[in-house]
Amino acid sequence: MLALDIRNVSKKYEHFHLKNVSFQLEKGYIMGFIGSNGAGKTTTIKSILNLIRLDSGEIHIMGKNMDQHEVELKQEIGSAFGDINFYTRTKVRTLTNVIKPFYKNWDDDTYHKYLKKFNLIEDKKISELSTGMKVKYSLALALSHGAKLLILDEPTSGLDPVARDNLLDIFRELVQDGEISILFSTHITSDLEKCADFITFMHNGKIINSAEKEEFVDAYRLLSGTKEQLNLVKEQLISYKTNLFGFTGLIHTKDFDSSQNVKSAIPNLEEIMIYCSKKEDTQDV
Amino acid sequence: MYNLLLKEFKIGVSPFFYVLPFLTGALMLIPGWLYFLVILYFCFITIPNMFGGYKSQNDLIFTSIMPVTKRDMVKARVSFIVILELLHIVVAMIYSIFTLHLYPDMMYIFLKPTLGFWGLCFVMLAIFNLIFISMYYKTSYKYGAPAFAANAGAVLFAGGAEWLALQNSYVSDLFKGAGSDNLGAHLLILLAGIVIFALFTFIAYHIANKRFEKVEM
Repeated sequence: MLALDIRNVSKKYEHFHLKNVSFQLEKGYIMGFIGSNGAGKTTTIKSILNLIRLDSGEIHIMGKNMDQHEVELKQEIGSAFGDINFYTRTKVRTLTNVIKPFYKNWDDDTYHKYLKKFNLIEDKKISELSTGMKVKYSLALALSHGAKLLILDEPTSGLDPVARDNLLDIFRELVQDGEISILFSTHITSDLEKCADFITFMHNGKIINSAEKEEFVDAYRLLSGTKEQLNLVKEQLISYKTNLFGFTGLIHTKDFDSSQNVKSAIPNLEEIMIYCSKKEDTQDV
Repeated sequence: MYNLLLKEFKIGVSPFFYVLPFLTGALMLIPGWLYFLVILYFCFITIPNMFGGYKSQNDLIFTSIMPVTKRDMVKARVSFIVILELLHIVVAMIYSIFTLHLYPDMMYIFLKPTLGFWGLCFVMLAIFNLIFISMYYKTSYKYGAPAFAANAGAVLFAGGAEWLALQNSYVSDLFKGAGSDNLGAHLLILLAGIVIFALFTFIAYHIANKRFEKVEM
């Protein structure tokens, strides 16, 4: 079953265009949503949550159309925005008491279980929580109302490596039972190497690729060689960088001819992101 | 809608603004004062503070990610404004009973706090609501221009009413002279004021609803 199904979503702004965005997330998995700053990740997330009006396209969550079943589906969605804070001068306890009546499946026991697990103190004000704690508080709220889909916008940005690792472990734990699915956007690709099952890569409002993580990485090869070798493969390369000794470039695995004796390696997500973005930017110019 | 209204009460404004009507209401005890100001303080102080709070606390996104309809968001907010307005008027009305008993022989330059005067206060708030609510929901976060325009509308109405009572002997008699004891006439003005308040606020709610549908967060 698909937890999230985004079909041909488009949205045009004066200076930005979300172009025909489509991707799917299977129930029980983690999808990492990567892209550079301004790629359209937050706009896509806002469109999933129906915070912006789409020009065209459809969003289905748990098989239901978001536009038609918004209130019902939002009972099943938990969200966190890493860079937006709400009611920072309010105590955790007060804010929870305001939020919980909105959710029909709210469970106080679960809430207290997660408060304890995440070491959250109810008497603290939101502003007194660290960045990581704020994300954990959002997670505690989402899990207490039985959210099945977690949509997290840059939850790991601004966290130290320890807090990030800790949060990623929590994500893995949450999806273990196959009930909860997570879509989280980030520009920190190493997070995804640790915990994502699927990767969706966006650049300039377009989806460049969306696939299972190993398949995603396997679709590319990182080539390096001399300037003479560059001329052999230049046409097939997605993009490349030259230096004193030669070049480094990214190629689709299907376009790579191993008989050319160019040194190849499996790229990491960061390299894929950098070279694909470079190509798009060159094309846009 | 009930939960949203509860949310407004719990975190929408500082508890100070529930005490404020009792403080501004006490201004009714100043003999012969410009009593429109007592109600206008709500428009001058409470509204900008309230909406400044919503903006700085990112209330729009906070509320939008919860399982609520946009219509209910507007309905709860408008209801909350109306409840606070009623609190201001009712508290001020109670203080005015003391005023009328404390200074029975007062010569009024400005309008006497009769039932009819409260009817005019309702009309003033009706104008305020119509301008503020409908303008605010164009963006749902910019409150400066709507508050300025709505306050201007309310002040112009209050000023106009006071001016009329100074210029026109019939109006002067009705609100400051012997006519101020005409309970029937004043009750009628109060009722008319309440009807105009309800009608204008209802229209404002409908305009706000339509505009908020198009708002993007």
